Amino acid sequence: MNVGQAIIDGTKEIFSTMLMLELEVMDVIEGRGGDIPANITSMIGLGKDIRGMLAVHCPADVAMDITGTFLGMDVEEIDEDVKDAIGEIANMVAGSLKISFADDGKDIELAIPTTIIGKSFKTSGISGAHRVVVQFKMNNSLFMIELKYIVSKSE
Amino acid sequence: MGKNVLLVDDSSTMRKIIGRSLRQAGLDFDNIFEAGDGLEALEMLEKEDVDIVLSDINMPNMDGISFLREKSTRDGIKDIPVLMISTETGDDIIGEAKSLGAIGAIKKPFTPDKVNEVLGPLL
Repeated sequence: MNVGQAIIDGTKEIFSTMLMLELEVMDVIEGRGGDIPANITSMIGLGKDIRGMLAVHCPADVAMDITGTFLGMDVEEIDEDVKDAIGEIANMVAGSLKISFADDGKDIELAIPTTIIGKSFKTSGISGAHRVVVQFKMNNSLFMIELKYIVSKSE
Repeated sequence: MGKNVLLVDDSSTMRKIIGRSLRQAGLDFDNIFEAGDGLEALEMLEKEDVDIVLSDINMPNMDGISFLREKSTRDGIKDIPVLMISTETGDDIIGEAKSLGAIGAIKKPFTPDKVNEVLGPLL
């Protein structure tokens, strides 16, 4: 299974269907690197056959743009609506990955999204986890989706 | 239309999007009630006149499956139809939801046309 492509396909479908926006894929990185500055991050835990975390990392302008488009209104600060909207993006991308992994014979349980605001933090995951990062461009700004995972079920 | 709908989702953004999709699909309900989880939904069903429920599955406090299970035990509300609207659309979980009384499912992400296609015939 091409995990990066699964992230791309799921994310593009969500943005085109719910936000009427076509995303451009800027890079797909496996392993270290590919980080972009982010002001808001929404994470969702994965369990069962695939364990780990999916995260959506957004600069403030992208997060407010997504939220404003979702709600059909101008958004000028990182507020509860923004946290909620980015959490819902994480939830839908994780749901899309769940379907892709199910097609590959692996079942995933999804947790409830957690959203963090701030520029300076590090997350620690499971030792030896695979890491896939996809950078997307939306309205001339970048955001990224990161998946860190290990396969519990034999590949 | 003269009908009332209850939207159950822990995301307030998603509740607003679903409400907007209903209007864009031409499904004009008299009242759109909202609940953030299954527990709030049960309280709302006990006090408001609701014709149909659109419910997420993956929610804190009480998820959509537990909501269906508890609702099915309450005489006054057990026959109110519930349509699942969720990222969780695997055969196993939707099968469980249907066994507990759900009448169908819409996958997130969705378009207003999809909402109309599934929900319209049920009204």
